[in-house]
Amino acid sequence: MSKLVWSTLVLLAFASPFIGTVTLDLNTLFQADSLSQRIFLELRLPRMLLSFTAGGTLALAGLLFQTLFRNSLMTPFTLGVSGGAVLGAGIAIKMGLGIAFGISAVSLFGFIGAFSTVVLLIILSRYLKRAEQESLLLLGIALSFFYTSALMVIFYLSSFTETATIMRFTMGSLSIVGYENVISISLFAGLLLFTLWIKRFELQLLSISDEQAALKGINTKQLTYLFLIITSLAIGVLVSLTGPIGFIGLIVPHMLRRLYQRPVSSLIFPVFILGGLFLLACDTIARYFSTGSEIPIGVITALIGGPFFIYLIISKQG
Amino acid sequence: MTITDLSISYVNTAILEHINFSISSNTHLSILGPNGSGKSTLAKALCGLLPYEGSIKIDGKELCDISPKQRATLITYIPAKMQSFEQFTTVEDFVLLGRYPYKPTFKDYGAEDKKIVEEILSELNLSGLRSHKLHALSSGQQQLVLIAQALAQQSKILIFDEPTSNLDPKNTALFVKELKRLRKDHTTITISHDIQLAAHLDDPVLFINEAKAEFHEKGFFNTDYLSYAYGVTFQKDKGMIGISYV
Repeated sequence: MSKLVWSTLVLLAFASPFIGTVTLDLNTLFQADSLSQRIFLELRLPRMLLSFTAGGTLALAGLLFQTLFRNSLMTPFTLGVSGGAVLGAGIAIKMGLGIAFGISAVSLFGFIGAFSTVVLLIILSRYLKRAEQESLLLLGIALSFFYTSALMVIFYLSSFTETATIMRFTMGSLSIVGYENVISISLFAGLLLFTLWIKRFELQLLSISDEQAALKGINTKQLTYLFLIITSLAIGVLVSLTGPIGFIGLIVPHMLRRLYQRPVSSLIFPVFILGGLFLLACDTIARYFSTGSEIPIGVITALIGGPFFIYLIISKQG
Repeated sequence: MTITDLSISYVNTAILEHINFSISSNTHLSILGPNGSGKSTLAKALCGLLPYEGSIKIDGKELCDISPKQRATLITYIPAKMQSFEQFTTVEDFVLLGRYPYKPTFKDYGAEDKKIVEEILSELNLSGLRSHKLHALSSGQQQLVLIAQALAQQSKILIFDEPTSNLDPKNTALFVKELKRLRKDHTTITISHDIQLAAHLDDPVLFINEAKAEFHEKGFFNTDYLSYAYGVTFQKDKGMIGISYV
């Protein structure tokens, strides 16, 4: 099972740059300034890198949230963090904001949306008892509904073009030109990966229980805040550039747990790599079936991920 | 360890009020009391897991002034039940987590840590379960694994919460042997309903009832006092104390 999953994803990932509306001419691919080479270097390769990094970040954020809150349904998506980023980005699009201090306003507002959601969740969770982590999920769901309604208000107030832009944004997209966005997402993904790796022993204790971690000398509150802030940075920037892409944070950590039955500390890199390959594979499929306009990537991840996830749960494979 | 005027409340309800007691190093204390009297709450507060009013001093230092990592080397709590979200950790890896307070930051556990874990697993007859996952263990085995992790932690003060509640007679005897060995160079506290075991150890007792605590240096284990304290008749037969069942 494990080999089948990995080989399928790797195969689709390598096929990725060669699939699209323009077929690359392999004979001219290595010729400087040829059309094929330009498409490959300026469109396909950055997109491939973006997909991989974005998928890895989403999966890793999912793994972290599930561990921190000790609930398999906790992800930045289900807790409303992605919803906050979408609302922030939507506000920036509606206000027609451009670039401020060298940062795109959509990115900045996306980050503010994600970060303020995390702060709000931290404040609200103080009113919950330790054992009431499920209530946090309900708070996240309530926040998501609130954000969706607020976005509806923005739709209502927007022109047809603005509405279409925001609507397209909410479906998620990996279309980019050049490496600028890839670099900024990679920086935050790298920061998240690095933090989780150096704190893997602490994360393993937290995955058992808060009590166990505290008894071993970990300042659990401080560490949780550090994790949440870095995740909201990574997710905020990511969502503001690609739009929300659901399901990866939920299913990839689950898939790996079921396939390998290993503790969280040894799943950090595998989750990042599988998340990256999974989104890359979904993007390959989306572009393969596209006719004219592209199928939104968020639609594909849910269409493929949903049934596969149900299959995994029912079959209890691994 | 000296506890002065310790009070703990939860959502404006007093769980423990004005608790005072003191125990010297390398002694054993039994904490007894009815269900829901606040024994585990006290244990958790002593380890810094709960906010409190009053004073908890270990080696003359106030608990909240001790860094979390140093605190872990001074005192730890062994819960009665394993509660873990993570189910795929192996017994060996779980016990190794007890060495976390001694692990240098950014470094993996060393050979010395692994050696200590190996010795403890063998001492508690757990070597055969080394690579078993936590979720595949029985409740008794999980309790032994929790005890093993605490032993690996090598804290000066160990608080065991109902340590024998899931153990069979053989493992209970093994634990008592371990406890007797530990109290030579550790301060140990056991929270228990096992009056027979507490009477056998014949150490000082802290009896908690209705948010108050009474400290008994000696003389707790007479049937009249026990009957009064627990509200049920106790009797002594051939030197053994037990409940008189009707």
